[in-house]
Amino acid sequence: MEVMEGVPPVINLTEVARTEKEEFEKKVSELIIEFGAENLLACMQCGACASICPLARVGFEWYNKKLIKAILIGMKEELLDDSTPWACVACNRCTEICPRQVSPFEVMFAMRRLMVEELAISTLAIEGDRSLYEHGHAVYMTGREARKKVGLPEKPPTTDSDEKALQELRTILKNTKLAELGLIPME
Amino acid sequence: MISETVSETLKEKLKFGLFLGCNIPFNRPDVEQAMRKIFPALNVEIDDLVGQSCCPSWGTMPSVDVVGWCAVAARNLCLGEEKGIDLMAACNSCYGSLNEARHKMLNNPEIMNKVNEILAKIGKKYEGKAKCRHVAWVLYRDVGLEKIKESIKYSLDGLTIAVQPGCHFLWPSEVYPDKEEDPFNPKVLRELCKALGADAPYYTKLIDCCGMGALRSTNPEKSFTLVKEKLECIKEEIDADLIVTTCSSCLIQLDDAQERLRKEGKISFSIPVLHYVQLLALCMGFDPQQVAGICVTPRDEIIKRILESGKR
Repeated sequence: MEVMEGVPPVINLTEVARTEKEEFEKKVSELIIEFGAENLLACMQCGACASICPLARVGFEWYNKKLIKAILIGMKEELLDDSTPWACVACNRCTEICPRQVSPFEVMFAMRRLMVEELAISTLAIEGDRSLYEHGHAVYMTGREARKKVGLPEKPPTTDSDEKALQELRTILKNTKLAELGLIPME
Repeated sequence: MISETVSETLKEKLKFGLFLGCNIPFNRPDVEQAMRKIFPALNVEIDDLVGQSCCPSWGTMPSVDVVGWCAVAARNLCLGEEKGIDLMAACNSCYGSLNEARHKMLNNPEIMNKVNEILAKIGKKYEGKAKCRHVAWVLYRDVGLEKIKESIKYSLDGLTIAVQPGCHFLWPSEVYPDKEEDPFNPKVLRELCKALGADAPYYTKLIDCCGMGALRSTNPEKSFTLVKEKLECIKEEIDADLIVTTCSSCLIQLDDAQERLRKEGKISFSIPVLHYVQLLALCMGFDPQQVAGICVTPRDEIIKRILESGKR
C-alpha cells in the first residue's frame, strides 16, 4: 500500500476481504486435497453419496455431499467446530457409488486430518492413538477372563505379548505425523 | 501363499496368517477360538503372525495421516509377506483398513516410498505382495461350499438366517482381493449359510449399516436408531431365527445394542447373533462354550435346537 507523507493510509477493507477470502478458499480445498482427497474437485454435487450415507440418513449436519460443497466454497471455521467427520463409519458406500471417483469417504477423513492438524479435536479423538502407542491395540482390555473362559492363552500372539514387536510399532509411530504434532506422550 | 488368482492357491496346501485385530482377541475371543478350530479341520493351516498389532483402526492413524496409516498397515502385511503368505481376517474393519492402505501404496509410489523409509528403521520392507483376505471369502472360494457341506455334523434345516455382511466386506470393491458380482446385492454370506442347510433370504435392509464404530462412539442415540430399524426389518420381513455376520463389529453391535433396546422397551423380541465362523464351528461339532460362549443376547436356545434337531 502506498503511503504519502503526512497522510494516514486508507485501508480498502473490501479489497482486503476479497483477497483474504481468495487465500482462504484456496487453502481449505488445497489442504483437503493434500490430506488425501485427491479427487475433490471432480465433485459435481450429484448427491449419489448422500442418498446412500448412514450419517445423512440419521440427520448429521455435514454429511458427505454437503461437506464437499462447504469445502468447495471455502468454509472452514464452521466445519472445524462440527463432529460429523468423527461419526463417519468409513463404510465407503459413497466411494462405491460416486460416478466421478471423488471418494467422499476420503474427503470426510481428510477433514478429520485437517481437524487434527489444527488441534480442533476432542481428547476422545486421540484416545485410540494413545492406546495404539501404549499397547499396539486401539481396543485394549486388561481383564482376560473371556479369553480363559473360551480356552485361549491369556494374551494373544500380538504386540500384547511381544515387547520387541511393540517397540517396532512405537518406532514407526514416532516417525509419523502423530509424533510431529505431539498429540500423545511418546517416551 | 500369495497369489492373484484362487486357482493358483488351490494347487497347494492352504496357509494364511491369522490376523486378529483388537475386538476379536479382547472382546470376542470365542470368534478367535472358532477360527482356530475350523480352519485346521478344513485343512487350512494358520500362522499366528506373532507380533501383529492393530490394523490400524479408522479412529487412529487413518484419521491422522495417510502415510502413518499405511506404515502401520504395512508392518502387519510384512509379517505375512516375510513368510510368503497372505493375511486372513474375520473383522471387516481390519480387512478394510489393511486393503485400503495396500491399495494406496500400490497406486502411489510416493506413499510406498515414504512408508518404506519408515519401515527401514525397523529393518522391514513392504513390497506390496501380501494382502489381507476375508475369512468368509477363504471359506467360499478357497475351501469351497462342497467341502463345508461335507465337514458339518449338524445341519440347520428349517432355520431362517438374516445375513449381515457388513460394510467393509463389500465397499469400496476396488480395493478388495475378492469382490461380489454386485456389491450392492451381496450373495456370498447367503450362500455360505445355505451350505449349512439354512434358509438365508433377502430382506430390505440387508446391506444397511448396523451403526457401529465411530457413529456409536460419537452419537449413541443415532447409532441405535439405525440398528433398531435393521432389527425390526429382520423381524418383520423374514422373522429370522438368528442373525449371522462376517464382521466382529456388526456382531458386537447387533448383539449388544439389541439387549439395550430391549431394556429400554424399544423392541420386544430377541434374535441371537453369531459370526459365521462361530456358526460353522457349532455345525462342525466344536464345544459351544469355546466357540460361541460370549454374548449379551442369549444363544442357549438356538444352540440347543441346532445340536438336538440338526444331527446328521
